[in-house]
Amino acid sequence: MNLKHRFFKLKRDLNRWSLLLLLILAVVSVPILTIGLKLFDGPGESWNHILEYVLFDYLKNSFLLALFCSIIVILFGVTTAWLVSRFEFPFRKQLEWLLILPLSVPAYIMAYAYAGVFGYSGLFSKLMGAFGIGDFRIEVMNIYGLSLVLSISLFPYVYVSSRTFFLAQATNLLEASRMLGISEFKSFFKLIFPLARPAIIAGLVLVLMEVLNDYGAASYYGVSTFTTGIFRSWFSLGEPETAIYLSAILLLIVFGLILFEKWQRRHLNFTSAKMSKQNYNSRLKPKKANQLWFTVICFIPVFLGFVLPVIQLIIWVEQTFSKVWTVEFISITLESFGIAFLTASVTVLVALLLLFFTRWNKIELLKTSSKLGVLGYAIPGIIIAIGVLIPSLYIDKWLIEKNITSKLILNATLIALVYAYVVRFLAVAYQPLESSSLKIDRSLSDSSKVLGKGNFKTFFKIEFPLIRAGLLSAFILVFIDILKELPLTLIMKPYDVNTLAVKSFEYASDEMVSSAALPSLLIILTALIPAIFLNKLLLKNASNS
Amino acid sequence: MQKIIYLLLISIFVVGCKSDNKKEDSNELTVYTHRHYESDQELFKRFEEESGIKLNIVNASADELIQKMSLEGEQSPADVLITVDAGRLYRAKSQNLLQSFSSSLIDSIVPKHLKDEDGQWVGLTKRARVIAYSKERIDSTQLSTYENLTSQEWEDKILVRSSSNIYNQSLLALIIANKGQQSAEDWASGVVENMARAPKGNDRDQVKAVANNEGDLAIVNTYYIGKLLNSEDKNEVEAGKSVDIFFPNQETTGTHINVSGIGVAKYSPNKENAVQFIEFLLQEKAQSIFAGSNFEYPVNPNVEPADILKSWGDFKEDNLSLNKLGEYNKEAVIIFDKVGWK
Repeated sequence: MNLKHRFFKLKRDLNRWSLLLLLILAVVSVPILTIGLKLFDGPGESWNHILEYVLFDYLKNSFLLALFCSIIVILFGVTTAWLVSRFEFPFRKQLEWLLILPLSVPAYIMAYAYAGVFGYSGLFSKLMGAFGIGDFRIEVMNIYGLSLVLSISLFPYVYVSSRTFFLAQATNLLEASRMLGISEFKSFFKLIFPLARPAIIAGLVLVLMEVLNDYGAASYYGVSTFTTGIFRSWFSLGEPETAIYLSAILLLIVFGLILFEKWQRRHLNFTSAKMSKQNYNSRLKPKKANQLWFTVICFIPVFLGFVLPVIQLIIWVEQTFSKVWTVEFISITLESFGIAFLTASVTVLVALLLLFFTRWNKIELLKTSSKLGVLGYAIPGIIIAIGVLIPSLYIDKWLIEKNITSKLILNATLIALVYAYVVRFLAVAYQPLESSSLKIDRSLSDSSKVLGKGNFKTFFKIEFPLIRAGLLSAFILVFIDILKELPLTLIMKPYDVNTLAVKSFEYASDEMVSSAALPSLLIILTALIPAIFLNKLLLKNASNS
Repeated sequence: MQKIIYLLLISIFVVGCKSDNKKEDSNELTVYTHRHYESDQELFKRFEEESGIKLNIVNASADELIQKMSLEGEQSPADVLITVDAGRLYRAKSQNLLQSFSSSLIDSIVPKHLKDEDGQWVGLTKRARVIAYSKERIDSTQLSTYENLTSQEWEDKILVRSSSNIYNQSLLALIIANKGQQSAEDWASGVVENMARAPKGNDRDQVKAVANNEGDLAIVNTYYIGKLLNSEDKNEVEAGKSVDIFFPNQETTGTHINVSGIGVAKYSPNKENAVQFIEFLLQEKAQSIFAGSNFEYPVNPNVEPADILKSWGDFKEDNLSLNKLGEYNKEAVIIFDKVGWK
C-alpha cells in the first residue's frame, strides 16, 4: 500500500467520532504517555546493579504471583458466578451480593488481618488450641499466603464480570445443549466457559493489573515483586528515574498482554442477537443435597474474603474503639462517600465515551491505541501521580507565567484529584463495559442505523439498555476502588479533604494495625451501600427486560 | 435512575462544601510531612491556636514529598519538610530543595550532631536502633556490639525486618561510615547467615517472633518497644514484656541513633512562619508531647523522655554527623542486595 493510498483511506475513514476519540484519548492518556516516554530517558545509575542482583527475583516472584492468583480467582470467581446465575439454592440471593464484598477490604488490610488471624496467639492458633494442637501454625507471610490474600480480595472482579455475562447469556444455547443430552457439567466446560472467555478475561485483566501493582501487602509479607522493586529503586536507592523506568517497562508488558488477548480472539464472535431473557423462574433446582453443597461452595470465598477479615477487624476495633473514635469520622465517611460517588460517575462516563467513540470511529490505528487509556490501572498509583503532576504543573506554571493566575490552581484541588482517579481507574470501568458490549450483536445497532437513526439515538434506544448491567458493575467496582485508594489520594488531595483510607493508613503505617481497623471497617460499610443498592437495581433491570 | 442523580447531587454538594473554604490566607504555613502520629496533629492544632497561623498539612512518604517539591519547583507551596530519618533530609538538601535558616533559639536548643552543618535542617526527636533480646533465654552479658551479631553463637537467632526499611539502611550506612565498605559488607552478610527467618513484617513483628521463640534477638527501634508495652492488644503487651533492651557499642562508637527532622523548603513562601513553627516544636512544652506520646527521645536536652525510656537508662550515642547516613544510603542498599538481605 503506498502512501497516497493510505492517506486516502485515512481521509475516507475519518469521521467526527475519530476526532472526539482522539480528544478524549489525549486527555486520559497524557499521564500514561508521560510515564511511557520516560523509557527514552533511560534509568538511573543503579540500573546495572538492579539487573545483576535483583531484577530476576522481581520478575520471577511477580510471574509466580500472577500465575497463582489467576488460578485461584478463576476457580473462585467463575464457579460462584456460574452457580448463582444458573441454579437455585438456599441463600442464593444473599450470596449473590455477598460475593462482591471481599473487594471492599483493602488488600493491605486483608494482609494485616490474615497475619493477625494466623499469627502467634491469633484466632487460628486459639482454634487449634481448642483441639489441643495449639502449636500448629500456618505461615501466611510468604508468596503462597500473599497469593491467597490478593486472590480473595480480588476475585470479585472475575465474579462480577462473569456473572454479568451469565445473566445476560441467551439460555437457548444451553437449553439446546441440554436437549441434545449433554450434561450440565459438560455443557459448562464445552459451551459456556469458552463463550464466557472475554468476560472472564476482562475480570482477570483487572485482577492481574492490581496484583502487579500491589505494594503494601507484598512488602509486609516480605515478597520482592516488580512493584516492590519500583519502590525500592525510588525510596531506597533514591532514583525516581529508575522507578519510573521500571514502571514504563511494566506498562509495556501489560499493554502487550492486552493486545495479545485482543489479537487472539480476533476471529471469534461472541455476540448474541437475543436480548437477555434471564429465566428467573427457570433457574435449575438441583437435588437437596447438591443445593446445600452449592451454598457451601459459594460461602467459602465469602468467608475467606469477608467474614474472616471482618471478624479480625471487629476484634481490633473492640480493643481500640474508645481511643480511636472521634466525631470527625462521620464527616470523613461522608466525604469519602461523596468523592467516591462523584468520581465513579465521571469515570464510568469517560469509559463509556471512550468505548463508543472507539466503536464509531473507523480508523484501525485509533481503535488499537484506545487501549492506551486503560493502562493506568497497571502501574502503582504514585507513579500515576507523577504522570499527572508533570502535565498539570506544566499548565499551572504556564498560567502563572501568563499572569492569568497567581498560584497553582489545578494542583491540590479536587480537579487534579478527580482527574488522577479517572486516569487510574478507567480500566475498572472500561473492562465490564467492554465485555458487556461485546455481546451486543452488531446487526441490532446496524438495523437501527439503516432505519435512519444516528449513533446517539441508537445508543440510547438499543445499546444503553443492553449494557445497563455492565454499567452498574462498572460503577460499583470503581466506587469501591476509590474508597480504598491511597497513594494518589495522599499526594494529590486538597489540604482539607480527608478520606477513610488516608485515616486507616495513618495508623497502619505507624504499625498501629489494630487502630487502623476502625477506618477500615468504615470503608467496608460504606462500600456496602452501592454494592447492595446497585445489585438490587441490576436484578430488577434484568427481570424487567 | 432518579435516585442515582439525587445521590450524585448530594455528593457534589458535600464535596463542594469542603473545598469551598479555600480562602486566600497569607498567614499560613504548608507542612509536607512524613510523620502521621496523632500527637503531631494535636501539636499542630495547638500551634494554630497560639500563633494564629493556619497550617496546611500534606501527608505522604518523604520521597514522594521530595519528588513533589522538585516537580513543583519555584511554585511549590511547601514551607517545611518533616521526615522520619536524617537520610531523607540529606536527600532533599542534595537536590537543592532546602535553604539555610538561623535562629539563636534553635541553635541554643539542638546539639551540634543533630543538625545539618549548613543549617538547612534540624532534628526534632531521636530514636535509637537497639537489640531487643529474650529475657528468658539470653543474658545481657552475652551482648556487646552490632559487629558481634555476626558471631557464630547467634546462628539462626537474629530477627530483623527487610532491608527496604530505612532504619536498617541507616544502620548499615553508619557502619560503612565508621568501618569502611568491605567491613560493612562482611557484617551484612554475617547477619544474613544468622537470621532466624527471611525478613518480613515490621519491627513489632520481630519482637513478637522473639516472644514466640522464633529467634532470640531482634534489631528494632526503641519506640516500638514503648508502643508494644502500651498497646491495647494484650498479646502485644506480653511480647513487649518478654524482651529487654540492649544498647550496643557502648564501649566503642556508641549506639546508632537517627532523627525525625525538619527542614525549610527552598522556595518557602512563608519563611518567617516556618522558623517560628520550628522554634515552637523544639521548645519544652511541645517536645514533651512530640517525643513523649510516641516514645521517642526529645532533642531538647531540658526535656525528660517518657518513663519507659528513662527506665532503660542513659546511653552513649554514636556522634557521627547524620548527613553521612544519607551520603552512604545508596551504598548500603547496594550491599544489602549483594548479600541477599531481602
